[in-house]
Amino acid sequence: MIHFRNITASYTAPNGERRVVVEEVSFDIERAEMAYLIGPTGSGKSTLLRMLYMDHFPDKGATQVGDYRSDQISDSEIPYLRREVGVVFQDFQLLPDRSAFDNVAFALYATGKRKKEVRKRTIKALTRVGLNHKRTQFPHELSGGEQQRVVIARAIANDPWVLLADEPTGNLDPAVASDIQGLLVDLHHQGMTLLMATHDYRLVKEYPARTLAIMNRQVVEVDPDTL
Amino acid sequence: MSLFFSIREGIANFRRARFAAFASTMAMAVALLMLGTLALLGLEAQQVLSWLQQRVGEMEVFVAESATESEAEALFSRIQTHPQVTSAEYISKEQAQAIFQEEFGEGAESFIDEPFLPASVRLQVRAPFVQTDSLSQLQADLQTWDHVDEVVFNQPLLNTVQQNIRLAGSIGAAVGGIILIAALFLVGNTIRLTIYARRLLIRTMKLVGATDGFIRRPFLVEGALQGMLAGMLAGGGLWALYRGALSYFPQMAGLAPNIEWMLLGGTIITGIVLGWVGSFMAVRRFINRVELH
Repeated sequence: MIHFRNITASYTAPNGERRVVVEEVSFDIERAEMAYLIGPTGSGKSTLLRMLYMDHFPDKGATQVGDYRSDQISDSEIPYLRREVGVVFQDFQLLPDRSAFDNVAFALYATGKRKKEVRKRTIKALTRVGLNHKRTQFPHELSGGEQQRVVIARAIANDPWVLLADEPTGNLDPAVASDIQGLLVDLHHQGMTLLMATHDYRLVKEYPARTLAIMNRQVVEVDPDTL
Repeated sequence: MSLFFSIREGIANFRRARFAAFASTMAMAVALLMLGTLALLGLEAQQVLSWLQQRVGEMEVFVAESATESEAEALFSRIQTHPQVTSAEYISKEQAQAIFQEEFGEGAESFIDEPFLPASVRLQVRAPFVQTDSLSQLQADLQTWDHVDEVVFNQPLLNTVQQNIRLAGSIGAAVGGIILIAALFLVGNTIRLTIYARRLLIRTMKLVGATDGFIRRPFLVEGALQGMLAGMLAGGGLWALYRGALSYFPQMAGLAPNIEWMLLGGTIITGIVLGWVGSFMAVRRFINRVELH
């Protein structure tokens, strides 16, 4: 379960200006639910997601992901929260000097998994995203869509219960973006909670789900068909 | 397993970012070479200092004319056992005459008939007591002993030497401090840049839930490895520099072989510590500041 409780949040824009993105906002995401978070660029979608993996904290109120509350979590607990949350960004952020296999395996080693388990989980994750046959290739040898699949494999390798996707198709052409979206929806159908920030309304209509829009510093539910 | 991973990653990072590793290693090697040269100069200065102190810490006790030979010898024995005296030499009237002739040279024959110089005891004072106050006190003390005619030491020379030692010590400490700060600054900045170049690696580790300690470890292994290599380079350079200086300036006091080895080992150990601590501080700062988005 994910909770946003009376959240007021702001972020510092690149020009140094402090921007309030939401005020006194509350909503929940159920376990195994799928939801979109939509809004124009700069509306605060990323800020809301960052508050879930505790890279950013609300000015007021609290977020809760599973057992972890933003107003109670200690610095040393944050890594353990992040093991329960998979995160996918628009810019793939793969390590360029490692193969697809090593990029995924690295995430498992970094959380203290043993070599045998790392190998098993890495192959399973790459198979789930349909890229096990390219596991020895390096990021520069893969297409944008394939790189994003590796990122998704890395995000799910630790078997998180929730996947946060921040504009995961933003750097992809429409056909590849649809493929990636299909993959994320498949993961959701297998039981993964999925919260995806996007401004690609075409995808929202193609794979409809609960849709939350940031408008006038509030989060409101909208019907995807009206977009 | 995680320790094995950290060591493997630390070594692999060395290979993956060769230029950054080379830059850090060279920065540390230069810093260590500067510090090592300073230590070498300090050791050499210490040897010169103790030689100088021995020279100025010399005192001469003239035996009274009235003393018999056995009384003079008894005085010599008593002086030898004094706690502030490191060594003493008895100079008989005849030896004093011979020294005078040797030093005076031509014309000394006119005094040859009969020894006219008194017998004396020339003594070396222990280094910690080579101070104007201590020597004056010792002089006054010895002056009260039986069969002592006069006690002398070179007070103006002692004053000059002590002033110069103080001045040289202050200059040495100031220069050493500047070099130390410059070396730490150079190493700290180079390591920070090296770690900044790996921000994606740190971000990824944070994102997937690695603990801060776990993120730090490969960087510490890498820093220690770079420090060890830098220590070996600096140690080799220092040794070559020292040997070269010895052949150009044979009058240098020279270090005992075990001190040479200690200096080499010390440089390598300092390198490891420098690499470790530098990486620890730089990566800790970076982990705290890096944002995942």
